[in-house]
Amino acid sequence: MKSRRDFLKRISAAALAAGTAPSILTWAFPQAQSVDVPGEDGMILRSFRFVDLETPVEYFNSWLTPVPHFFVRNHMHEPSELDPGDWRLALGGEVDKPITLNLADLSKIETHSVVNTLECAGNGRSLQRPQVPGVQWGKGAVSTARFSGPRLRDVLQRAGVKPTGKHVMFRGLDEVPGKVPPFIRSIPIEKALDTDTLIATHMNGSPLTKHHGFPARALVPGWIGAASCKWLTEIKVLEAEFVGNFMSPAYRFPNQPVQPGDAVKPEDTHPLTALNVKSVIAGPSDGASLKAGKVLVHGAAWAGEADITKVEISTDGGSTWNSAILDHEQSHYAWRLWSYDWKAGKTGDYTILSKATDSQGRTQPSTPAWNPSGYLYNAVDQVKIHVS
Amino acid sequence: MFPNVFRKAQQRFERARIEAAPQCPALSKIVIPTGASYPRRGCEAEWRDLLFLARTLTAVALLASPFSAQAQKPATASATADLPPGAMQAKAATACLECHEARIILQQRLSKPAWTKEVDKMTKWGAVVDPSDHDALIDYLSTNFSPDKPAYEPPRTSGSTKKSK
Repeated sequence: MKSRRDFLKRISAAALAAGTAPSILTWAFPQAQSVDVPGEDGMILRSFRFVDLETPVEYFNSWLTPVPHFFVRNHMHEPSELDPGDWRLALGGEVDKPITLNLADLSKIETHSVVNTLECAGNGRSLQRPQVPGVQWGKGAVSTARFSGPRLRDVLQRAGVKPTGKHVMFRGLDEVPGKVPPFIRSIPIEKALDTDTLIATHMNGSPLTKHHGFPARALVPGWIGAASCKWLTEIKVLEAEFVGNFMSPAYRFPNQPVQPGDAVKPEDTHPLTALNVKSVIAGPSDGASLKAGKVLVHGAAWAGEADITKVEISTDGGSTWNSAILDHEQSHYAWRLWSYDWKAGKTGDYTILSKATDSQGRTQPSTPAWNPSGYLYNAVDQVKIHVS
Repeated sequence: MFPNVFRKAQQRFERARIEAAPQCPALSKIVIPTGASYPRRGCEAEWRDLLFLARTLTAVALLASPFSAQAQKPATASATADLPPGAMQAKAATACLECHEARIILQQRLSKPAWTKEVDKMTKWGAVVDPSDHDALIDYLSTNFSPDKPAYEPPRTSGSTKKSK
């Protein structure tokens, strides 16, 4: 195991040596079309209205993602007015005593912290073939932060969940345009009562920013980002899964593998829950031109509710594989940074691959499991580079 | 042949200038004679014309590069990418851009059946599409944003003025 300082030094040196200058330049000198989004720095703008921002993979060099570099996924408009003094969280449904909490009430409940890798279910959608509709995320709709706030179970216990309560619904303050269905989703009671499921009020030690759900959001660790509803205003305990667009047909996955391009009946799908096993190469950059010699291949790997056990790297297009070094910083729901020292010899074009394996025995497939909405893309990652 | 090439290049430049104007005001200062008023001369003169055009376009490219002072100034949020020209451009803007920006459309690469599903879903969700425009709108979208078109290149954000931790 390498120390954290060593790891960062290696990544910095590699970035300078390994031809990542274009990405550094992009960061330092905004592109001609750069769009000002206060508080969000150097992000890939997938959409301004609604705000959908992707983290460039070159930022995958820090275990905790700084908030200005944390991806943003909004389905609709952010709340136009949010006064923390007026904010209330209503808790009702299948409970003994419906309650309403304000921010001061929440702050009096014991705080718990969870380092969680949050990933949009549609991350990697642009890589699916045939293409599917939706925000065309590249590889960066994923980031990691330390989320803090009261446990959802502690709040639920104040209201008293009835035995009939089997699912917990979240409603946010998203402002709905036109006749778009409201963004409401639910999670099973077992996950809601998990000791690590939070009503998060803080991110990396600071109050949530508006883009990330101020003043409070659900934090459902290890699950798709859509489970962690932002700008939380209502929690309702239900007897059954919530019925609405964002539970069905959205955010569902085929029960059986389907041929790319095939239609799938709604009854042959199930709701998405935990994330897949996955790794992404942060450096060298795809298309980089490197000098022969020592090259640090590095990136991040995560597996939802499972732990990463191995990341393997191939520098010959998949013929041979070698284990990467996993960085020492780890937490159950968080990604592991990894690195691999490669001695680039002969001049030529190379395809570098990364493949992660987790504690459930899952390994990244060589081809993605295509599905009509392009969810959970997790094929073996690759970058093509030139060595001279 | 040459006047045609010139006219096409000139039209392309005009379109690029209009699209880039919010980010790069200097572009509006460059004047190229219009194809209509351009006198027909011998081949040699037309080669000189093309050379002039190539130099002008090079200057435009440099002005629009990341190293241009004008280009480094971030665009405002309202300077979003626009929809491509066509008979349904205005109606697509009315139907779609009420709820989301053009960039959401520009990044899609879908078949005609997939665009049909999207248009029908959005109509159900409140997009105002006259039934008589339904098929033409789908044609417009599936022609301009088909799977064979190159991927949309998104811009980066510049938010260094109000950094949060």
